[in-house]
This record gives sequence, C-alpha cells and structure tokens, in this order.
Amino acid sequence: MELRGEGSGGVGRAGKARRGRSREAGGQAARALLGIEREGRARARRRRLTASPQIESSAMNKRKLKESSGTDGECISQVQKMLRERLCHHRAMGKLFGIDQQYKHLLELLKQTTVCGESNSALIIGPRGSGKTALLNRVLKDLREMKQVKENLLEVHLNGLLQTNDKVALKEITRQLHLENVVGDKVFGSFAENLAFLLEALRKGNRTSSCPVLFVLDEFDLFVHHKNQTLLYNLFDISQSAQTPVTVIGLTCRQDILELLEKRVKSRFSHRRIYLMNSFAFKQYIRIFKEQLSLPAEFPDKAFAQKWNSNIQLLTEDKTVQDILQNLFHYSKDLRSLNFLLMLAVSNVTVRHPLITASDLQEASKQYRMDSKANIVHGLSVLEICLIIAMKHLNDVYEGEPFNFQMVYNEFQKFIQRKAHCMYNFEKPVVMKAFEHLLQLELVKPIERPSVRSQREYLLMELLLDNNQIMDALQAYPNCPTDVKQWAASSLSWL
Amino acid sequence: MPILEHPAYPPATLLCLESLVPCRESQVSMLLSIFGERQQLSFPSIFIYGHTSSGKTYVMKTLLNTLQLPHVFVNCVECFTSRLLLEEILIQLQNHSSETRRASPVPCDTFNDFVRLFKQALVSQNLQDQTVYVVLDRAEQLREMEANILPAFLRLQELTDRNVTVILLSEIVWEMFRPNTGCFEPFILYFPDYSIGHLQKILSQNHPPEYSADFYSAYINILLGVFYMVCRDLKELQHLAALNFSKYCEPVVRKEAKERDTRKLWKNIEPHLKKAMQTVYLREISSSQWERLQCEEGELGQIKGLSAHAHVELPYYSKFLLIAAYLASYNPVRTDKRFFLKHHGKIKKTNFMKKHEKTSNHLLGPKPFPLDRLLAILYSIVDNRVAPTANIFSQITSLVTLQLLSVVGNNDQLDGPRYKCTVSLDFIRAIASYECGSTSVKTERTQTANEWR
Amino acid sequence: MSTRSLSKGCFVFKPSPKKRKVSRTTAYYFREGSSDLEDSELRFATCQSLQKQVKSETEQIEEELNEQLFDNLVSFLRRSHSAFQEKKTEWTCRTKSREIPTAALVLGVNVTDHDFTFRSLSEVLQNNVTPYIALLEAKDCPGIKNLMQKLLGQLMNCCIDVDSSEEEDYEHVSRSRVRCSMTTLINWYESATKRTDSETPGKKRTSSRHWQSPPVVVIFKDMESFTTKVLQDFVVISSQHIGEFPLVLIFGIATSPMIIHSLLPHSVSSLLCIELFQSLSCKDHLSTIIDKILLTTQFPLKLSEKVLQVLINIFLYHDFSVQNFIKGFQLCIVEHFHSNPLSVLCCQLEEAKRRVNSLSHNQCENVRRLPSFRRYVESQVSEKQIALLTVDSSLKEAVQKLLEDLNVYHENYFPILRCLHVFTSSLPKYPLGKQIRELHCACLENRVWETEEYESSLQLARMLNKSDLVTMLQKCVEILVSSPGREFDEIVEKLKEFLTQFQKLEEAYQERDESISPQKELQKKTNLYHLQKTLLELKESRRSKKLTKFEMLRFEVVDYIDSLVRHYLVPADHKTLHEIVYFNTASVLREHLNAAPRIALHTALNNPYSYLKSEALKSDGGSISNKAPDICIAYKLHLECGRLINLADWLEAFSTVVTAAEGPTADAASSDQVDDVIHARFIRAVSELELLGFIKPSKQKTDHVARLTWGGC
Repeated sequence: MELRGEGSGGVGRAGKARRGRSREAGGQAARALLGIEREGRARARRRRLTASPQIESSAMNKRKLKESSGTDGECISQVQKMLRERLCHHRAMGKLFGIDQQYKHLLELLKQTTVCGESNSALIIGPRGSGKTALLNRVLKDLREMKQVKENLLEVHLNGLLQTNDKVALKEITRQLHLENVVGDKVFGSFAENLAFLLEALRKGNRTSSCPVLFVLDEFDLFVHHKNQTLLYNLFDISQSAQTPVTVIGLTCRQDILELLEKRVKSRFSHRRIYLMNSFAFKQYIRIFKEQLSLPAEFPDKAFAQKWNSNIQLLTEDKTVQDILQNLFHYSKDLRSLNFLLMLAVSNVTVRHPLITASDLQEASKQYRMDSKANIVHGLSVLEICLIIAMKHLNDVYEGEPFNFQMVYNEFQKFIQRKAHCMYNFEKPVVMKAFEHLLQLELVKPIERPSVRSQREYLLMELLLDNNQIMDALQAYPNCPTDVKQWAASSLSWL
Repeated sequence: MPILEHPAYPPATLLCLESLVPCRESQVSMLLSIFGERQQLSFPSIFIYGHTSSGKTYVMKTLLNTLQLPHVFVNCVECFTSRLLLEEILIQLQNHSSETRRASPVPCDTFNDFVRLFKQALVSQNLQDQTVYVVLDRAEQLREMEANILPAFLRLQELTDRNVTVILLSEIVWEMFRPNTGCFEPFILYFPDYSIGHLQKILSQNHPPEYSADFYSAYINILLGVFYMVCRDLKELQHLAALNFSKYCEPVVRKEAKERDTRKLWKNIEPHLKKAMQTVYLREISSSQWERLQCEEGELGQIKGLSAHAHVELPYYSKFLLIAAYLASYNPVRTDKRFFLKHHGKIKKTNFMKKHEKTSNHLLGPKPFPLDRLLAILYSIVDNRVAPTANIFSQITSLVTLQLLSVVGNNDQLDGPRYKCTVSLDFIRAIASYECGSTSVKTERTQTANEWR
Repeated sequence: MSTRSLSKGCFVFKPSPKKRKVSRTTAYYFREGSSDLEDSELRFATCQSLQKQVKSETEQIEEELNEQLFDNLVSFLRRSHSAFQEKKTEWTCRTKSREIPTAALVLGVNVTDHDFTFRSLSEVLQNNVTPYIALLEAKDCPGIKNLMQKLLGQLMNCCIDVDSSEEEDYEHVSRSRVRCSMTTLINWYESATKRTDSETPGKKRTSSRHWQSPPVVVIFKDMESFTTKVLQDFVVISSQHIGEFPLVLIFGIATSPMIIHSLLPHSVSSLLCIELFQSLSCKDHLSTIIDKILLTTQFPLKLSEKVLQVLINIFLYHDFSVQNFIKGFQLCIVEHFHSNPLSVLCCQLEEAKRRVNSLSHNQCENVRRLPSFRRYVESQVSEKQIALLTVDSSLKEAVQKLLEDLNVYHENYFPILRCLHVFTSSLPKYPLGKQIRELHCACLENRVWETEEYESSLQLARMLNKSDLVTMLQKCVEILVSSPGREFDEIVEKLKEFLTQFQKLEEAYQERDESISPQKELQKKTNLYHLQKTLLELKESRRSKKLTKFEMLRFEVVDYIDSLVRHYLVPADHKTLHEIVYFNTASVLREHLNAAPRIALHTALNNPYSYLKSEALKSDGGSISNKAPDICIAYKLHLECGRLINLADWLEAFSTVVTAAEGPTADAASSDQVDDVIHARFIRAVSELELLGFIKPSKQKTDHVARLTWGGC
C-alpha cells in the first residue's frame, strides 16, 4: 500500500513538476505518466541504495522520504538557489566567521575616510580562501547602508589579474571614475596624459569638500610587478598628501608583500596591515558548517525550512559527518574547501531526495579527495605501467638521477628476457610510443628543454611519481599480470 | 530503467542524452546535478581530466547541445595566443543566438577588455538569467599563455560578477596547472578510462549494417585481445577496427567459413592484426596503403614501411665526416690515440677504461666534441690526403641542417663550435658498409667492440 | 640564392638590376679582363648564346626527369580527398578517423637543388590540381603564429590572383587585422570555393582544370629544419578541421622519411596518412645530364679530361648538387671564351668557317702559336709549311679544313664511344668503368687501347657468350643508325653481317655446348686472380685444339671493335686545333670551385710575397724579414708557440724581429725596453690575429692568449 501512496504522491508531484517545467516543454500527459512510474521505480531503487552505510541514517532518510513526499519542486529549487548563492558565489554577503575585530578595524578605517575625509592605506593579508574579499565586501555593504556615507564614496575596484600593466589599470580607473575623457566605455589619450589627468583630478580637491575615493586592489602582489611600480607609487603618494581623501586597500595572500615593495613606495605606505588567518577551532568549524547549510528565517516555506534546519542539526551531531569534517579540517582549514564539500552535497538534493544525508557528504568527500595521479596511472596500458616500473627501479638504483628512454628500454628488456611469457616482446617503436604517451601525460618530465637538435631517446627525464603512488596504483590496477606486480615489488636483488 | 533524472529537463531529452553517452552515465548525472537548473549558480570553474578519448570533449559537447544550455566551446590548441582565444570566445558568444551571421571580430587584447566585452555580450544576448558555460578544451595550452590568463579564467565568475561557469578539459592532472603562488582552486572531476568491457560495448555498438552485431563484436573481441595491451585509445582502436574488418570478413565472403566458426576466422585475422600493430599502428604504412594492400590481396611484405627507406645517400666526404663525428661523440677522447695513431704505445687492458667510461655511451647518448677533433679523426680515417677546402666546412654545416649533426651550445667562431652526432649506430653501419674497403669500417668495428666491452 | 648550406657568415643580397644593364657591364668586364682584345664582343656574344642554350637544355632535361614523380604526386592528390567525397555514407568511412593525407617527398641531400624542384612542382599543381598552394620554409616559421600568418598570406593572395574581379572584400582586410586562425581560413575557403562553383562561363576553364572543392596543398620545403612544436601544433590544429577543409601536406625531405618519426611524436604522426615519394637519385640525374650535354656534338665547346674530372669529383666528393655541376660547366664556358682569343671559332661549323675568313692578322698569329698547329705544320712538306706560316689566306683555308676534320672526329667519336660502352659495361668487374663518363675520361686521357684495363676488357670480351654478344651487336647497330655520322654505313653493314653469321651458327648446333662451357666457369670465378688463370688456360687450350667456328667469329667481332676504337677514339689532344674547342685549364676551375680559405690565409700570412709581389719579401726561406707586415711577423712567431702564448715573450720576439734591421745604435736604445710605437704595432697585429680567429684571450693564465689553430692548414 505504501507504494501506491507514494504513487499518488508521485502524481501530484508530477503534476506540479510539469507546471514547473512547462516553459521549456509543454508537458504532454503521456510524458507525465511515463515520468510517474519511472519516478516510482527510481524511488524504490534509491531506498535500496541508501540502505547501505549506516542503518539509523537510512532509517531517518526513509522517514524523511515519507513525510517529504508533499514538498514540491519550487521549494527545492528555492533551497538550491539560496544555498548555491551562499556556497559558491564570491560577492556573497555571507556571514563572517571569527574575524570580528578585523571587521571592526577595517570598518573604522573606511569610516574615517568617508566621514572625516582622512586619506589612508592598508593591506589585508591572508591565505587564499580566508575570506579577504568577503570581509571587504561585507564592510563596504554595511558602509553603504550608513546614511552619512550615502553617495559620498567613489569606489575603484582593480584586480591584478585584469590590469596586467599600469596603462590598462589607468584606463580602468578613469573609466570607473567616469572622468571627462571617457566616451561610452572607450578611454582616450596616452598613458602619460591619462596619468597627468588623473593626478590632476585627484589633486584638485581638498579633504573637506571633495568626495573621498576608495581604491581596492585585489591580488595586490601582481601590481608590484608592474614597471617600477608607478601606479602604486602615485596612489600611496596621494594617500599620503592632504588632498582629495583617498584610501587604498590592497588584498593579497603573500605574507612577504612588504619586501616586494620598492623603497620609495614602501616609505609612502602607512604600514597598516590586517591579517586574516582562519584561526578557529573545530567547534567553530562545526558551527560554520551548520550556519552555512541552515536556511534563514525569511525562507518562504516555513515548514520545510524548519524541517531542513532540524535535519542539519541532526547531521552536525552525526558521527560520520563529524569524522568527515574532522578530516577536512585537518586537510585544510579554509572555508572554500568546506563550501565545495557542502556544495556537492547540496547539489544532490532533489525533489525525491529532499534532505542532505550523511552518505551524501561521504560521497562528496570521497569525490573531493582522490589522488588524481593515481587515477591517471590507473588508466595506463600494461606496457606503460611496465615502463613506469622500470623508471622506478632506475630511480632506486641511481638515487633519483635523471634517466633517458634508452636506459628505461634496457631495464624493460631485462625484465622481458626474464619473464617473456606474460607479454610478447614489443619492438622499440611501440615502446617509444608508449613512452611518449607518458611524456604527454606529464607523468615523466624532461629536465632540459627538448630541442629539435637532440635525439629524443637520449633526452634526460625525471619521474614525477613516488613509489607509494606507483604501488597503490598497481594494487588498484585491473587484471595486471602477476609477474609485473612481482617485478614492481621486487627489490633489485633479482636483477 | 533511466539513470539520468533531473527536474529541470524533460525526461525525453534526458533519455536521448543517456542513449548518446554510453558508459558515461554516472559522470553525466554528476555534472547534471552540479549544474543544477538553468538559472541556478554553479561552481565558478570545473576542471575535468581523464585519459585521451575518455569522452571528455564528446560528453561535454553532447550534454550542452542536447540540453541547449548557452555555452561557448573553444579548443585552446587552435587559439595559440591569448588574444585569439578571447576573441574566439566573444565571437561564439555573439553568434550564440543567431548561428547564421558572423559578427565582425572585436579587437580584444587584454583580459580587462575581455571582461568588459563579455558582460556586454551577455546583455546583448540577454543571457543574464541563466548560467553560461565556457568550455576550454585542451586547457594545458593555457599554461603557455600569459601568467594571468589561467587564474583569471578560474575566477571568471567573480571577475565578471555574472552567472558563468568555466569548464577546463585536459589530460593532465591539476597539480601540473597550479601556479606557484597558488590560485583559485576549481572543482576537479575525473573521467575514468574505459574498461575493456566498456570498449567492447562501445566499439560493438556501430557494427556495419551488412553484418550481424555479435559477429562484429566477436571481431572486436579479437582486436582488443591483440591491441589492448599497448593501446586503449578509443579512437585509435576504432580506426584499426575499421581498417582490418574487411580482412576479417574475407573467409565469410569467400564462403570458406560461416559467421559462426570464430576459430577459423581468428586463425585468419590474428597474424594480420599482429602485422598491423607493427605497421599501421606506428603509421609505418599509411592507412590507405594498408587498405589497398588488403583489397588487392597483396603480400604484406611488398610495401616497405617508412623505416625501410632509412638509408641516406651522401657524398664521399660527408660520409667520412659523419663517421668521424660518430666516433668522436661515442669514444672517450683518451682512446683516440689508441685507435687512430699508427704506432701508439702499449696500453694495459686493465685500468684502460675509467670507471665512468664503463657505462656504455650507447646508454648515455653522444658527447659533444670540438671541430678540430672531428677534422683530426677525419684526416686519419680517410686514406688519401684531404685538403681543408671550403667545401669540407660547408659540408659540416649542411650536415647540421640535415639534422645528422647538431651544434651544441653557442657557436661563436673564435673558439671552435662543438658538435654532436645525432644518428644511430645502424645508420653509421649502413653508411660505412657502402664505403667498401675503407678503413672506416675497421675503425668503426674496433670502436663498437670497445663500446660493448 | 639559398645560403643554407654555406657556413656561417654574412651574406650580401644585391637587388637584381635591369637585365640590359647587367649584360652590358658583364660585357665590359669581359673586355677588361681578357688578355688581348681580339674581337671580344663576338666572343662575348657567342658565350652568351651558348650559356642560354645550355640553360634551356638543362631545364628541359630536369623537367623530363621529374615528370614521373610529379605524375605520381598528382594522382595521389586526386585520390586523397575524393575517396571521402564520394563514399561519405559507407560504414568504414564513418567509423574510420580521418587523417591528413601527407606526401613524404624524399629529394636527396643536395638541398641546393630543391628550390627548382619545388618551383616546378607548384607550377604543375597549379595547372592540374588546385590553385591553393602554400610553400613554407623553416626559417620563416619559428613559431606557429608566424606559420599561420605565412599560410594565410600566401593562400589569400593566391585567391586574389586567381580572379581579382570579385576580390574587393578580401583586399580591404589588411594582413595585420585578419585573425590568423583556422576558422578564418575555413571561412575563406568556403567563400572561395563557392565562388568557383557559381562562376561565369568565362571562368569555366578554371573549374575544368580543378574539380569541385580543390584540396589545399601546404608544402614544407625543408622538413628537417622545422621545430617539433610548430609542426605538431599545426598538424593537431588542422586535423580538427580536416572535414571541412581538405588539406594535403607535402613534406620535402632531404635525408630519409625516418625524420618524420624522429620529429613528430607518434600521437601526432598518427593523425597523418603518410605516403612516400622518392625522386630520382642525383647520380642518375648527373649521368643523364652528362649524357645529354657533354657527350653530344650539339655544343661546340668540349671539356678536357682534367676539367671534367674536377667537376665530377666536386659532385661526388662534396655536394651531390647537379645545379652546381651545371654552374661549373657554365663557368668553364665563360672562362674559355674569356681567356682564349681563338675561342671565337668555337661555334657551329658553318659559322666558324665564316668567322675564319674574317680573322685578323693577330688572330692568325695566335693560331700559328698553337702547339697542336705547330705539330701539324711540321708534319707538312716544306713549301706548304712556309705558306701556312706566312700567308694568312692559306692558313685560313687550312684552318677551315682542320675545323671540319675536328667536327667529323666528334661526330664519329661519340657513337663509337657508346658502342664501346655497350661492351665494357656488360663485362664483369668493369675494368673500364661502369659509367660511360669514366670511359669517356679514359679515352680523353690517352690512347685507351694502350692501357691494360683495355687489354683485360678485350680478353673478357673474347669470352662472352653468344646471346650477350648478339644483343650487344644489335645495340651497337641501333646506336650507329640513329647517329648522324657519315661513314657509319659500312660499319653498320659489317655488324649486320656478323649478326647474320651468328644466325647461321644457330643452325649449326653442335658447337654450342663447347662454346658455352668456358664462359660458364667465367661466371663462377669472378675475382680477378681466377680470371687471369682461366684466361691463361684458355689460351693454352686454344693453342692446343683448333678453335670452333663460334670462337673464331667472336675473335673477329672483338678485333673489329678494337679496330674501330683504335681508329675513332684517339684522344682529342692529338687532334689539331683542339685548343679551340677544348677547355683544359683545370687549375683555374679548381681554385674557383673548390677554394681552400685556410690555406690561402696561411700562405698570405706565412709568405706575403705570394700576394704582394715586393722584392723585399722575396728573400726568405724560414727566416722572418722585418719588411713583412706586422701581422705576418706576429703570425710566424705564434706558429712557433704552444697551446698558450705568453704575450710578453711574444712582444719581445716581435720587437727584436722588427728592430733587427736598424743598426746596433738603435737596438742599444731599445735593448732595455720596447718603445711605444712597436708596442702599439704589436698590439694591433695581435688584435688582428684574434679577429682572424687564430688566438683568443684565455682565462687559464694571466697575460696569456690561447692558440686556436694547428699546423697552419
């Protein structure tokens, strides 16, 4: 009877779903029907699947399924939308975790600029994914909301990845400030003209009357490499002198950033630095995890939101989940990897599978942490594997000295003469072809630039795999001949 | 029982998609769930890696086309400069809605302009409300371009502040891409290689119309038996299968065997395939020649592969120059006296070779040598006296242009240039044997003897 | 002018001026240099005409030689893409991955000759297959970018050339703006082919020459010099589009097709469908050239044995370049007409006779000075001698007669030479050489019948079996009949008669077995020692038992051939007035074509007298005269030093040599320390030596320089 119940639920659901997707395909009744029973079967299958890892979660899961049979596609897609926004959008105004005083500091700084018109300069330093951008965005957002700041702040956002030299950067600045020499989005005039013009424009004003300008330099370290740091010099210079209030905020992940600055530039920089280390204990980590997943109060479908959140609560207490998080936490603390994990889990949420389960997270983490090289090795042909093993032996003999194809081939020949029966003897070109495939996959790397002039069998190479990787890959390798395995395992004594 | 299911797309489309991607359902469903619905956000950048012909490109193409997602598909090998690449993307974006008219290419040199123009294009094609996918095939080429290109693409979503997902396809693992200052990490997805079962299935799928499916699959079975050891490249295998099938069918056509008795057929085809591995697989014989051979019942020996034509006809002195160069680059200097002087002092066999010379030079490859040594050896191995005329020197340089010698390091004229001999022992043997009765042969014999001691 | 195979250095490419101007200036130089100005204009004119004649002749020969190769290529091109075009639907074509059809064109190591071949090849393709051809050279394409630019440039230009009427849409796209990408190329191709499809009946001609969607041929002139990366990228890129862009590659290979595998990794070469085409080996090429140019009467100028040897040696020992050989020949022509005033008579017979009449007195004297003419005169009766030596008119008619003889001699010489070659070339061990050129040289050198090679070859010829003999005789008959010579008729008769006699012998069968036996064992024992032995015992046997008919006949034949040789193949320098038509100053040629820079430099520095003929320098054996230029002195001193040269000692020695001449007073002054002038001179000399690459500053020891050359040359 259960099945029928679900079936009926299926009908309703299918109906709604059809309405939901009627824009791309005017759903015909036939397809809807077809849809129904497929869904029915699929659910049956899924239950069978989810019954695997731990009992209580799957039981919970089943309960969820039954009661969630009412929830509809829109609601789910709502959830998806919201969480995806949160998890993998960068301008996301998400919550900040454990960096409150940095937040205060920065906010204070900018307020000084905007309100009292103080010029200033600061660097936000922290490893990748430590939420530098998030912090800044948050501050700016809050800043904009203050009324005395309204329309009283010009922002210029630069990024080291985009403005690869000062010429481009300058054009970009003028464009963003809407100075006079901008028509449409074209900027006219030479580099010198633009610079002069800009400086002029900035010098004109004084700290009381004119509107403060905020320069945000993302990937600050890249700006350092520009030709004798003209841009940085000028910006810092202005921020020093009492003219139009200018504040320069640089975001970078390099701790040694100050050493990269030229002396004259460095001297003009007010050595304000805001450090972000994601320095939080596992407890906070768990909390973050919860925060990130739980739905806000203003979610339309209250009932579902409440259900969802309670499920999240359950998850956080779940043992397996905690283990997963623990692993990840030790692996890397930055929130981005966490977000990836959650994102994967969330993306599995569908109408028929409305709530995240521990198994999802497990899948995600497995997906997230696999050894790519081992994967590649797994895909190699037996011959190529043999070559890799030969290289491994060479490395053992010559203590990681570079080798060339000729040596590898000799080693391989030795093996073949020992145990020829498993594979017939390939002639050299075939082996060469295999070797080149390894080269193409960059499992092997030439140590000097391969010039046309040199014969490629004598080109010196090095192996980019270590023994463990090789051995693991061999274990996983499907139907690998036994004596190849032996050969790999054998010490050099048998040679 | 369908494997793919997604609320956003009609099941019919999903069904046909599923039929299009055999043995890749799991990856596709993974991708589907990651993409989410049209307007939903997704990972800023996805990095897909896997072996050659593990269906990366194919799957992405079919997926995006069948679901009619707005996308741009660029091959990075084709766009060998960043400018070409960026412009190509923009052009495809502009032509997204109307395939017919080609928009005139917009000049776009820097990534800065690219971002701006990209936004404009999105607006003009009104794609703001749905995710746009930028697929970069053969992404390893991006590393050759300017340093900022790859990181910028990885965070294109952030830079443009639009709903865009960049997908990188490559055979090379992500570790090889990561710049030393680090960058935004993409989401990494692995396309595993096809197992032999998969290959069997896929290859058997499009059997020739005139023969039954299982007959063909039996053939594929044999083919894999021979080639699977060395080659798992689906394309290559498919090619080989197509080439050799006619031969396989011969007995059936000639009514000598039923489609059933695979034993006989195997006997017929097996040596043929072995032969194919040595010739066609290495492109020693071109595929077309191979086919012609089959159809005209020719004995396979009669067309010689490329390597059969290895012998090069050289002028008299060039030969000797080459031999001298070979001797110079494979013999240690200290043995010259012993080999080329008429009356060299007695040398003890013991402690004659130093330790490091024991390892044969044929493993380590040729050593560079100065011009004078080359000439000295030349004078000693040519019987009659050689005048150092301009022609001799010009021959050395023309040998270099022919890639038989190669100049090592900077060749400034004042301290004489150093050369390397880049031909194999067999090549030299061939040349020397053509000089019948010349001393070179003897010298070369002694030298090789010394090599293999 | 390709500087590829020349050693490094700077090359000056002068912009080629107007033809007319060139000719005048050369004519001017011609007059300048020549020893005496006897009718130099006339000589120059003849020289020019001869040059032209040779040029056209050789080019025609080249084309004939390449014809076969080109036909194969064209058919390959036709096959390449049509296969896919007709049977698109067939199963194999659908499953098989499409490869780029590629022709590996092996042209041999004489790189200098390739340009000509490629030029004519592209012409042939233009006319028969496709208008879209691009020739790429390695030195233009260091990177894939440049390659694409070159490619687009050439292709689009070509399409502009094909029909410039509706090409405005391409003109306005300047080279810089066009995106050098494959997509651009494909679009261009589509539009171009579309145009040729929908073209006006006036243009039908082109479409009849090239069929629908002609392939695009890209020729890599020098495969070896291309870098791996460029080729690799190009192949990969174009293989993406092979479907809509029918591309065909042609690799010009100098060494061996293996280079493809050593250049391209297999992952790339598996995208190609390579077929091999080999051009004629340059040795055969040379022999045809010699055969058609030198061994004919059509060119009045002939080469003496030594000169021919020089040219052939340069070919065989140094460069297999036929072009260079021809250039050498042309140089001979110029040299001959330039140096030899009597060369005015070196032209076709009638013309020559006419010119003889208009000879000036000096020219007559020149004639009288000719050694061969002297010999001739001495052989005459006295009053005839006087007439010849005094009266120009009588001289002139004598000369005319002699010229006629010479001409006749040549007309007979070559056919007989060929006949002889027919015999010798079929003998074991080729005592007189395999190639006809060797035989030719042998005959020119001296009386060939006095050499023992000739003897042995006759011996061998006496043991040939009947069938060979008959076929040879037939060959000879053909040759003689085809040749223009006058008095061959009775020779032909004689040979025919021999043949008929052989026919008779056929009926008389019983002799055959004995006749076969000796040469049977001859076949077995081919090394010379055994040969001699068999010869001897054959003699014995012959003495002992009477000869069979066949043997007698064979002796007759051989003797007859011998008589012919003795009569017709007398070396040219026994002929009177041979100096007029034979160019024989080999030394000049050698120093032009096979220069020895090191030796020249050494002699210049070591023995300055040889260049600047000042008597002061003349008198030195080993000693160093202080009159010599500073650099010479420094050079000689450095010859005595070892690997490292101490500058101080060198300077010391230098100053002593230089100041040797001044009396004791001077050296008393300069005994303790060298004065500045000498010091300066020394420094300059040393730096000059460094510039010439004899020494270089060395890091190993302070104030020492390292010596770079050994043993002078």
